[in-house]
Amino acid sequence: MIIHATHISKYFSVEGGMYKRRTGLVRALEDVSFSVEEFSTLGIVGESGSGKTTLAKIVARLIAPTKGTVEFDSGRINNFRKDVQVIFQNPYASLDPKMRIKDALYEPLLIHRLAAPRQLRDKALELLDIVGMGEDALGRFPAEFSGGQRQRICIARALATQPKCIILDEPISSLDLTIQLKLLDLLLRVKEEFRLTYLFISHNLSVIKYMADSVIVLKEGRIVEQGGMHELFSHPSHPYTQNLLRSARR
Amino acid sequence: MRMNKLLCAGIAIIGFLGVLAILAPFISPYEPSLIDSTNLLTPPSYAHPLGTDSLGRDLLSRIIYGARISLSIGIIAVGISLLIGVIAGSIAGYSGGLTDSVIMRCADIVLCFPTFFLILAVVAVLEPSIINIMVIIGLTSWMGIARLIRSEILSLKEREFIQAAKAIGASHIRIICRHLLPNAMGPVFVNATLGIAGAILLESALSFLGLGVQPPVPSWGNILIESKATLGVAWWITLFPGLAIFVTILGFNFIAEGLKKQWGYNA
Amino acid sequence: MLEISNLRVHFDLNGTIVKALCGVTFGVGPKETLVVAGESGSGKTVTALTVTRLLPASARIISGEIYFDGEDLLSLEEDALRKVRGKEIAYVFQEPGTFLNPVYTVGNQIMEPLLLHQGLSRAEAFAEALRLIALVQIKEGRRVFFSYPHQLSGGMNQRIGIAMSLACRPRLLIADEPTTSLDVTTESEILDLLCELKDNFGFSLLFITHNLSIARRIADRICVMYKGVVVEEADTERIFSSPRHFHTMELIQAYQAIGTL
Repeated sequence: MIIHATHISKYFSVEGGMYKRRTGLVRALEDVSFSVEEFSTLGIVGESGSGKTTLAKIVARLIAPTKGTVEFDSGRINNFRKDVQVIFQNPYASLDPKMRIKDALYEPLLIHRLAAPRQLRDKALELLDIVGMGEDALGRFPAEFSGGQRQRICIARALATQPKCIILDEPISSLDLTIQLKLLDLLLRVKEEFRLTYLFISHNLSVIKYMADSVIVLKEGRIVEQGGMHELFSHPSHPYTQNLLRSARR
Repeated sequence: MRMNKLLCAGIAIIGFLGVLAILAPFISPYEPSLIDSTNLLTPPSYAHPLGTDSLGRDLLSRIIYGARISLSIGIIAVGISLLIGVIAGSIAGYSGGLTDSVIMRCADIVLCFPTFFLILAVVAVLEPSIINIMVIIGLTSWMGIARLIRSEILSLKEREFIQAAKAIGASHIRIICRHLLPNAMGPVFVNATLGIAGAILLESALSFLGLGVQPPVPSWGNILIESKATLGVAWWITLFPGLAIFVTILGFNFIAEGLKKQWGYNA
Repeated sequence: MLEISNLRVHFDLNGTIVKALCGVTFGVGPKETLVVAGESGSGKTVTALTVTRLLPASARIISGEIYFDGEDLLSLEEDALRKVRGKEIAYVFQEPGTFLNPVYTVGNQIMEPLLLHQGLSRAEAFAEALRLIALVQIKEGRRVFFSYPHQLSGGMNQRIGIAMSLACRPRLLIADEPTTSLDVTTESEILDLLCELKDNFGFSLLFITHNLSIARRIADRICVMYKGVVVEEADTERIFSSPRHFHTMELIQAYQAIGTL
């Protein structure tokens, strides 16, 4: 098990009134436990408001859980920010608009001292090549690329640190279906090539089916169903999952 | 991208004045403090294109040298306020919580002072040198910039690319300097350009009251002092320094307005 | 009934010319449902807006003809065109929240075209508005009539949008991704409603979508658009059983892999 999450809860307090008194509590996540096997893909599926993005951020250590812990196999992952990468939902927002593509790609290499200054360019070209982009991208700004191309650049940036595990928070949902399919195939290819573990979050059951080995279904911050891909699709036990499957099949 | 006309006009005006200021020793026809008792208060003529003052000094030369003082006071004062404002604002916006409250309440307190009278008081206690004027204007005008930077950073730091930078392991300093500030500086530059105009105006007012740049060093404000006494007999002493101030302010406002259009802000 | 031929539309964005449509040709028959399917940037929305010249100011119609019942819409004066808009050809848009004015009750907004186009009195318009609200299968019509758009759900607002578009009994309804912003269950209800209304009223439906499962469900014929041209046009059955253009194949492949279970 490369990731092991136990009893994660996350509450957000709602402040109101003049003195910012706590007037309410939003339970974004309630007692969520799961583990991810190395070299596998765990899909997390849920509708908007189910807490799936919050879960992704907690696993990525971008926010702290209120209760519970997320442990990583220390033998596999010793430098967290290098070994665990995140790819975000909105490719239009996850690249710095004022940074050229080469600088975006050099940044992780520089931070983790993975390349000498003279090797930076070659390394960046190699990364772009993996995601199917050419040298001409280097000097350009994110605004000059389409959503699909930007997400390819984000994938290249994530691969720069030679990670063991990538957390993907709805990485394709804002794109056209044909582009989605190409990106999913790219993600499957790099997963094989670099022996990666994925935590893949989506609201789209068919995308999860395409990508994941096992799946957890989130509803209002709780896990309603958890198991292997095949069992979930053939024998959904929870009425919520059955309902999700039915509306997706319609 | 094409530059808009306003921006071009502004840059042309300020560029021209800047060249005048830098090349002052080479292009001004006379020494600015050269007293010529045979030519007191002569109107504009071929020898003295903008006339002379009551000590017979050449007005054109004084205005050209005055441009050095006035422009450098404006730019350095705003530089100081930019430095303080950007540091204070980005720390406040990025860290939030108590630090934010403390920094912004300080800004509010400074903002409550009637700036002009504060400057008058400080200058009365210290001596009114050029350096003092620059520093005091800078120290009392950083709050707007701090607020602007803070609000930009507050909204930027929720954006995904900042999360992405955190996720690849970027340090706080790196996030602020490499990601937040480049994206937040646009409106700040617009604001600072307007600030230069404001600072030049403030310096002129101070000098006019005799608490700014001290004669014989010429600044546009202290050339105007003399106009008080000679307005009836020598209109040129009032008109030309006034015009210089007017054109400079106009130039900076053009640049600010042009930048706003160029970058698409509607603030 | 609607004939579009060789339509070319360019956008002039600060001197850069973007070719949105490069010769689009298709037609919609009486009482037919034609689905225009395509991905973002294929020109499907621009086509829909060009029919009654609702394009933004930067658009230039370079060439082409649009005939509606034998009348050339592109050569029509703005005044004459306004009579066609809303009355003969009505639209349903993507964002149900944004076409409704937030400061008026929805009832007020349904009554507006009735007062303007039909010349009804206020009492008649009120009764007609309630009838229209009932027609789009909203219960508690009176409560909804006096509600503001933000008090209603997205699905409800889209129903109101449909009611408004039906106010003047159009003969062609152009629906531009009307269900994209809704969740799956509501989407399904709205589609059922549209098909039912179409059968009852006998209008033609030009439906624009990126979603092939919607296309498969409601279309008589499908036009596939790609980079500003129609690359394939055929009966729904034929498109899915034997696609000919590579982009149609690509769309169907993606749809079968991740667009459906």
